[in-house]
Amino acid sequence: MTAGAWLELIASGLITGGVYALVALGLNLQYGLMRILNIAHGEFLMVGAFLTWMATTQFGISPLLMIPVAFALLMGAGLAVHRLVFRRLTRTSPNLDVFEARGLMVSFGLMFLVQNFAQLLWGGDLRGYDFLTEPVAIGSAQFAANKLLLLALALAFSAALIVTLKKTLYGKGVRALMQSPTGAQLVGIDTERLHPLMFGVGLGLSGVAGCLLSMTYTISPSMGEPYTVTALIVITLGGFGSMSGALVGGLALGVIEAVGMHFTSPSLKSLLSYGIFIAVLLWRPNGLFARK
Amino acid sequence: MNTKRDLLVLFALAGWALAVPHYGSEFAVSMALTCLMYATLSSSWSLFCGSTRYLSLATSAFFGIGAYCSALSLEQLGWLGAIGLGAAIAAAVAVVMGAAVLHLRGTYFAVLTFGMTELIRHAITTWEKQVTGTVGRVLTVVPERDTVYLTVLGLAVLAILASILVRRSRFGLAMAGIGADEQRAQTLGVNTRLVKISGFALTAAFAGAVGAAMSVRWTYIDPATVFNPFIGFQTVLIALIGGAATLWGPLLAAVVFSLLAETLRLQLPQLYMMTLGLLLILSVLYLPGGLASLRRETFTMWRDDIRSGWRELRAGKAKKVPA
Repeated sequence: MTAGAWLELIASGLITGGVYALVALGLNLQYGLMRILNIAHGEFLMVGAFLTWMATTQFGISPLLMIPVAFALLMGAGLAVHRLVFRRLTRTSPNLDVFEARGLMVSFGLMFLVQNFAQLLWGGDLRGYDFLTEPVAIGSAQFAANKLLLLALALAFSAALIVTLKKTLYGKGVRALMQSPTGAQLVGIDTERLHPLMFGVGLGLSGVAGCLLSMTYTISPSMGEPYTVTALIVITLGGFGSMSGALVGGLALGVIEAVGMHFTSPSLKSLLSYGIFIAVLLWRPNGLFARK
Repeated sequence: MNTKRDLLVLFALAGWALAVPHYGSEFAVSMALTCLMYATLSSSWSLFCGSTRYLSLATSAFFGIGAYCSALSLEQLGWLGAIGLGAAIAAAVAVVMGAAVLHLRGTYFAVLTFGMTELIRHAITTWEKQVTGTVGRVLTVVPERDTVYLTVLGLAVLAILASILVRRSRFGLAMAGIGADEQRAQTLGVNTRLVKISGFALTAAFAGAVGAAMSVRWTYIDPATVFNPFIGFQTVLIALIGGAATLWGPLLAAVVFSLLAETLRLQLPQLYMMTLGLLLILSVLYLPGGLASLRRETFTMWRDDIRSGWRELRAGKAKKVPA
């Protein structure tokens, strides 16, 4: 293989990896902070993608403009879901184990609800639109412009989230809550405010990911589930609750998949990712980058 | 005392179900069959998962393994032999899987069993594509409708009978002990590893047998139908909505669901799935013990809940108005 072909292969891995990272960051925020393993996470990505598709094809709004709109809409949806469902669940569950199991079941219910609602509303067909499809040459490799934009924006959003969590007062509160919920509450961090907000931000990020995806790939109501599974794989790779782990894990998984698929066959993709997933869970259940 | 009553109820229900093929229409029998299938799956699921509180999502893996076993061996081994083989191989897979993952609790366990189910499904799909060159199997020799019905009925009775008997046994108490506090059970001398693996294998054997028996209903099977994760979800759903810790809850919910499924699914499949999702959310939120735990107090609790929620809402509004 030439250097250009390698570059193209790695870059295509990084491009899918960027989306994986963005989805995984949102899921990780929900799981790391609230112990909600939101199986419906990918469905909200699908909703974001369909909203963007609808805005672009029917009202002629630029997909770029839809990024903040998708974020805001899905964040609103997240706040509503948290208010209606998870707030009550937190109050009625006797301990964290029970809360986790119930939260998992509730999110399965949400998955059925959202996925089939989308199918009812938009039908089960594949959809798509053209946006920035002209090729860009870098060295001897060629890329579609929309894919490069996707990677850049996915990385920018991931970095923004990580920096926000590291630098701002809110972010410090969130990280404190992840490390020790009781301790954080003792020093006056308000869980009643932070939990719904972070749940909303998580869903908002998956909406952005969906919006970005719709620029390059065709979309369908069943597209969400594979992304949920991949996000789960990524956060097990990077460690539950670790943000930079999710970013590195997402990019790594994208590259592993791209290289693995290139040398075997595309039909082995899911076999490969499930294999990695189970191996990591059995071998290092706290994540590859966990500090002991 | 309770065991005797449960056995009597089971005997009466089985007798009634036995009579269905003689007077029921084709539609009624097919509905009863679905009902019995889910009753077996969810009763055997809650036998292990309800008492130990290990949330397994691997039911569809065992179901699919059973279905494939029977599709491959029906002609050589005969009907009962194929079902026995399906149950045995599913149990064997469960022992291996259990030995690997049963030390993980809670969400890890649920996610891992789900991942392993998908891994098995993709592995079989790939194997079929690469080795045999086709996807799916056609079953040519199929037993009569009544034979299938009676077999699934037999399995359902067996599953509930096993739940009744295990409940009172040392094994059942050990599983309940693990569910309440695993470390305490271990300290008190329960071999938790052995108990968990054998319980998991028992659940798998039932799911495998049901899969083997149901595969002939489709006449054509492929990995996407028999390893459909939805079979596993629906089993868990039925058990949870019915009440996983109770004996009759899963059966009750299986009946309700089969009725709902057959009436809604054909006309409005999306609406059916949405109802399912909504029911799951509502039951987890408002009826965490399941349908079987529904009592008069539950209603008064809901009423108080609604009242306090309303009061909160009005108080919130009242506060906002002056500001």
